[in-house]
Amino acid sequence: MTTQTTAATPAAAPTENASTGLIGIPPHIGRALATGGSILAVVSTFLAWTWTDEFPGDLTFYGYPGGLQVLVLVGGALATLFALASYGVKGLGWLTPAGADAALKYAVLGTFVTAWYTILAISFKLGGLVNLEPGGYVVAAATLIALLGALALPFERPEPDPIDPDATGWELFRHQAGHRWATARAAFASGSPRPVRALPSYAEILIIVAVLALALVVFTYGIGTEYDELFIGFLITAGFAFAALNGAGLVAHASQITARHTNITVCGAFIAAACFPFTQTDDQYATLGVYILIFATVALGLNIVVGLAGLLDLGYVAFLGVGAYAAALVSGSPSSPFGVHFPFWAAVIVGAVASLVFGVLIGAPTLRLRGDYLAIVTLGFGEIFRIAANNTDGTSGPDLTNGSNGIASIPDLSILGFDLGVPHDIAGFTIGRFANYFFLMLLITAVVVLVFRRSGDSRIGRAWVAIREDETAAEAMGIHGFRVKLIAFAVGATLAGLAGTVQAHVTYTVTPEQYLFAGTTPPNSAFLLAAVVLGGMGTIAGPLIGAALLFLIPNKLQFLGDYQLLAFGLALVLLMRFRPEGLIPNRRRQLEFHEEAEAPTVLSKTGA
Amino acid sequence: MTTDTTTKDTAPGAPAPGTTVLDARGVTMRFGGLTAVRDVDLTVNSGEIVGLIGPNGAGKTTFFNCLTGLYIPTEGEVRYKDKVLPPKSFKVTAAGIARTFQNIRLFANMTVLENVLVGRHTRTKEGFWSAILRGPGFHRAEAASRARAMELLEFVGLDAKADHLARNLPYGEQRKLEIARALASEPGLLLLDEPTAGMNPQETRAAEELIFAIRDQGIAVLVIEHDMRFIFNLCDRVAVLVQGQKLIEGDPATVQGDERVIAAYIGEPMDNDPGAAEAAEVEAAEAAAESAAGADAATDAAPGKENDR
Amino acid sequence: MNELPQQLVNGLLLGSMYGLVAIGYTMVYGIVQLINFAHGEIFMVGAFGALTVHLYILPDGTSIWVALPLMLLGAVIVSVLVAIGAERFAYRPLRGAPRLAPLITAIGLSLALQQAVWAFYPEAKSKLPFPQIEGGPFSIGGATIQTGDIFLLVAAPISMGFLAYFVMRTRTGRGMQATAQDPDTAKLMGVNTDRIIVIAFALGAVFAAIGGVASGLKYGQIDFKMGFILGLKAFTAAVLGGIGNIYGAMIGGVVLGVAETLATAYIADIPGLDKFGSQSWADVWAFILLILVLLFRPQGLLGERVADRA
Repeated sequence: MTTQTTAATPAAAPTENASTGLIGIPPHIGRALATGGSILAVVSTFLAWTWTDEFPGDLTFYGYPGGLQVLVLVGGALATLFALASYGVKGLGWLTPAGADAALKYAVLGTFVTAWYTILAISFKLGGLVNLEPGGYVVAAATLIALLGALALPFERPEPDPIDPDATGWELFRHQAGHRWATARAAFASGSPRPVRALPSYAEILIIVAVLALALVVFTYGIGTEYDELFIGFLITAGFAFAALNGAGLVAHASQITARHTNITVCGAFIAAACFPFTQTDDQYATLGVYILIFATVALGLNIVVGLAGLLDLGYVAFLGVGAYAAALVSGSPSSPFGVHFPFWAAVIVGAVASLVFGVLIGAPTLRLRGDYLAIVTLGFGEIFRIAANNTDGTSGPDLTNGSNGIASIPDLSILGFDLGVPHDIAGFTIGRFANYFFLMLLITAVVVLVFRRSGDSRIGRAWVAIREDETAAEAMGIHGFRVKLIAFAVGATLAGLAGTVQAHVTYTVTPEQYLFAGTTPPNSAFLLAAVVLGGMGTIAGPLIGAALLFLIPNKLQFLGDYQLLAFGLALVLLMRFRPEGLIPNRRRQLEFHEEAEAPTVLSKTGA
Repeated sequence: MTTDTTTKDTAPGAPAPGTTVLDARGVTMRFGGLTAVRDVDLTVNSGEIVGLIGPNGAGKTTFFNCLTGLYIPTEGEVRYKDKVLPPKSFKVTAAGIARTFQNIRLFANMTVLENVLVGRHTRTKEGFWSAILRGPGFHRAEAASRARAMELLEFVGLDAKADHLARNLPYGEQRKLEIARALASEPGLLLLDEPTAGMNPQETRAAEELIFAIRDQGIAVLVIEHDMRFIFNLCDRVAVLVQGQKLIEGDPATVQGDERVIAAYIGEPMDNDPGAAEAAEVEAAEAAAESAAGADAATDAAPGKENDR
Repeated sequence: MNELPQQLVNGLLLGSMYGLVAIGYTMVYGIVQLINFAHGEIFMVGAFGALTVHLYILPDGTSIWVALPLMLLGAVIVSVLVAIGAERFAYRPLRGAPRLAPLITAIGLSLALQQAVWAFYPEAKSKLPFPQIEGGPFSIGGATIQTGDIFLLVAAPISMGFLAYFVMRTRTGRGMQATAQDPDTAKLMGVNTDRIIVIAFALGAVFAAIGGVASGLKYGQIDFKMGFILGLKAFTAAVLGGIGNIYGAMIGGVVLGVAETLATAYIADIPGLDKFGSQSWADVWAFILLILVLLFRPQGLLGERVADRA
C-alpha cells in the first residue's frame, strides 16, 4: 500500500514560486532598489555621520570619507557595479561570469552589515542615537533599502523533501527549519561560471599582477588598521567582498588564469610581498609583517607534515624552538654558555640540523605506530622541550639555556656587510630594522614554498598522499610507509628549525615561554595547527592566509582580552563541524571530508 | 573496450618462459587456536594462469596474504624465483609480486593516472632530494613513468580517463584500474583476488581477455575466483582449497569432474537419496507423460529439462 | 624521606590518580578510536565542580565528612554533563570524518573548557585552595600517608572493582566490550552503539571526577591548568598499560606513578645526573618512559584492545 505524502495543493502554485525572491517585492522594483540604494550609500559616505571625532576615523567631514566610511564606500561601489552588471550593461559582462544576482546580494549584504555596524558602534560608543548626523541615517536607510531590494531578486528555490507522515512535531519543526535554511542558502547561490577565454599571455599576466596588487593593498590595509572597529569593519567588508567576487565567478576565473602561469604567480606573489615594507612609513607595521611571515612560514612547514602526509603533529612549535635556541646559542649572545659567534650561514645550519636531529629522534620510534600515538608523542615533546629549556638554568639542571630568562641580547645580523639592525635608505624609502628582517624571512619563506611545491608534485608527494589515503594499499604498491613518513616529518622539522634561526634574531631573545602548546600569542602549536586547518590543508595560500588571520585577529581585537582563547577554542570546534576543509580548500581534501559530495570528474595536477 | 594484445612481446618484469616463479611449500597459517591454512603446496610457472578456488572461508585470501608479505606463515616457506619472500609487503612488491584486492582499494581521491603512477613507485628511485633539485634525471624519470603509466592505461582501456578521479569510475573500470596499478610495478607474478566479483557477463569476458593478454606478456597469474566458468575458461591449472587444505590440483576438466570438489561445493548426497536407477525410472515416466500431453499441443518446447549452464 | 617503601607508596598513590583518569581515555579510545583531548579538562572541571559545591552551596563550616560526599556528587555531575555534551555536540557529528577533524575539535574543546572555567573563577589562574581533611598523617608499615591521600587509597580500588563488575557482568558492560571489538557486528546483534558510546564517555567522566577530587585533596589546591599535563600523563599511562584495556589503564597509571616518583627521588644519586633530580624534571621522565614503551612494547603491558578499523 502506497502512501501519498505530497500535500494536497493545486498544481498552480509551483511555477509562480520558482521565480520570486525572498521578499515579496516584484523583481524589477527590487533590482532598482538595490541599485539606487547602493548608489545612495556611496554618496552618503561623503556626508558626515557623527558630529564628534571621539569616534575614531573622524567621520565628521563632508566630502571626505574616513575610516569606516571608506569601507562602506568600497562595498557600495562594488554593489553598484554588480547591480549595473545585472541590468546587462555592456562592458560589465566580464565582471560576472557566473551571473550577477548572487554577487549583488553578497555585496549589498556586506555593505549593509558594515554600515549598520558602524552606526551602531557610533551610537554605542558615544551613548545614543542622538550622536548621529543625518549622514548616518541616510546610509542606514540606503543600505536597508538596497538589501530589501536585493533579497527580492528571483532565484531557484529548492524543492522541499517529502514530509514523513509519522514525523513528530519536533521533527516537523526541524524539517521546516532545514528547508528555510536551504532556501536562504539557495538565494545566495550562483550558477557555474562560464569558462575563461584564452587571452593573450601578456593580458593574463597583467591580470595576475592586478590580482596580486589587490591582495597587497588589502593586506596592507588590514595590517594598518589602527583601531578595533576599523579592523572588524575591514573583516566584514573583506569577507563579503570575497564572497561576492566568488559568487560572480571571478575567483574561479582568477584561479584558472593563475593556474596557467603558476611559476609567474608565485614569483609575482613574492615580489608583491617584498613590496610590502616599501608601503610602510614606519617600522611599526613591518614588525607585524615579520611576525606574520614567521608564523605563516612555520605553518607552511607544518602543512607538509599534516596537509600532505597526514601526520598528526601537535608539538610542531618545539621544532621552531629548537632551531631558535640552537642558533641563539651560537650567535654571540652574552647569556649563552657557549662563547661563540658563528656567521649567519653557520648558525642557520646549526639550527636546521638541530631540529632535524630531534625530528628523527621523535619520529623514528613513533612513526611505525598508529597515527594517534604520534599526536601524543609530539605533544609530549613540545612540553618537554619547554620544560627542559626552562630547567636548564644552572640550578634545576645544567646551565644550558639560561632557564626562563632565555638567551637574550642576540646581536643583529650582518650579512655581506649589510647590517640588518639599522635602518637603511633604499630608493628614497626608509627600510627599518624589522623591514630588513622581513626581507631575510622572505627568503626562508621562498625556500619553504619551493620545498612544498616541488615535493608535493613528485614521486614522494604521491607516496605521501597514498599513505594518507590507504596505508595498507600503499605498502602493497611498494611504498615503504615508515620511511616515507619519516621523510615528511624530518623535512617539516628542518624547515621549522630554519625559520627558527631567523626568528631568534628578529626577537633578540629566545625564552621557553615563546614556545607553548597554546597561548595568546602565536606561534604556538595549537595556533599553528589551526592556521593550517583554517586556511586549508594541502594548499600554499591556505596556511598563509590562515596564519595572517590568526595573527591579526587577536592582535587587533584587544578588547577580547582574556576571552581570546575561549573564542579560539570554540571557533576550532565550529570550524571542524561546518567547514573542516578550511577557507581555501585543496579539492582533494575537501572530498576526503565530505564523502557524499559530488566529486568533479577531473582533478587538476595539484589537486587544487 | 578493446584490450591491446599486440604491444610489447614481454613485459619488463616477466621471467623467462617455463621457469618456476612461485614455489609455496607446506604453508600453514595459524591465528591463535584457529588454523586457517594447513600445509598447502602450490607452484606457479611463468606463462601460466593458475586458479585457486574453494568455498567461502576456505582460506584462499589468507593464503594470498601469505604470498604477499601481509602475513608471515606460521610454518612452511614461500619462494619467489628461488628466494624466500621478505616479511614486509612493500619488499614483496619490490621483489616482483603484485596484487589486487577483494574489496577494491584504490586511492579514491587521486586521479586514474596518479593511481598508476603510485604503482610505479617501487621501480623508480627519485627521492626527496631529486624532487627538490629537479635535475635532468628527475624530469627524465617523471616523463618515463608517465609514459609507462599511459601505456598501461591504454593496455586496460582507460587512457581516455587518465585525469578522472578514481572514485568516479564505474565499478568494472575501477577493477581494471587496480590491475593497471598492479602491473605498474612490473611484476613477474600477478595475484588477482576475485577480479570479477560484481561483474556482468560482458565485463567478465573482457576481464578474461585482459588476463590472457597479461599472460601473453609473460607474467604469471594466480587468480582466486568463484565464477566457475571464468576459472575453467581461463586457467591452465586449478587448485582447490577446502577448509584450509588443498584438496586437488590439476587441469580444469579433471578438477571440474572430481566428486570431492562437487561435494565440497554442493554437498554430499543425502542418506535416502533415490540413487541413479530410480532417478532414471522417474525421468522415463515423466517423459512419457509429457509426450502424451504434448501430442495434441505440438509445441516447440523440447521435452525434458533444459540444463542451464 | 628517601626510603624505598615511602617512595613506593607515594608512587602508588600518584599512579592511582593517573589510572583513574586513564580509564576515561582508554575506554573512549577503545570504542571510537578518538583521543579525547578534553578528558584532562573533564578531570579539572570535576575538581572545580567539587569546589563550587563547597564554596557556594554548602554552608560554611560544614564538616568535611558531610561535605565530601556532596562535593564528590557535584564533581561527578559536572564532569558527566560536560562529557556527554561534548560527545553529543562536538564528537558525534564527526563520527565518519578523517582523524584530524575530531582531534582538532578536541583541542578546541579543551582550550574552551579551560578558559570557560577561568571565566567563572577569575582567580583560577593561580591556585585556589581546596578543602582538606583534618587530621595528622597516618603511618602504615613504615610509610607515611597524608590524610588527603586516604581518599585515593579508598576510592581507587572501589572504583576499579565497580568498573570490573560493570564491564564483565552487566549487559551494558558486555555491550561495551562488543562495541569495542566490532561495532558493526555489535549493531547487528542489537546493541545500541550510540548509547554505549555515551555511557563510555559518562563512565570515564565519573572516574575523572573522582580523580579531580582526589587531586584537590592531595595537593590542597586546584587551578584551571591542572588538566593539561595530567591528561598527557594519563594518556601515557593508558598506552603503557595497553590502549583499550581497562585494567591496563590502572596498571599503566600505577607503573607511571611509581616510575616518576622513583626517578625523582633517586636519579640525583646517579653520578653525573645530579642536576636532573628535582621535581621539575618529573614530567620529562614520564615522557621518556612513554618513548621507551613505544620503542619496545608498543602494544602496552597488558596488550591493546582496539577494534581493527583497517
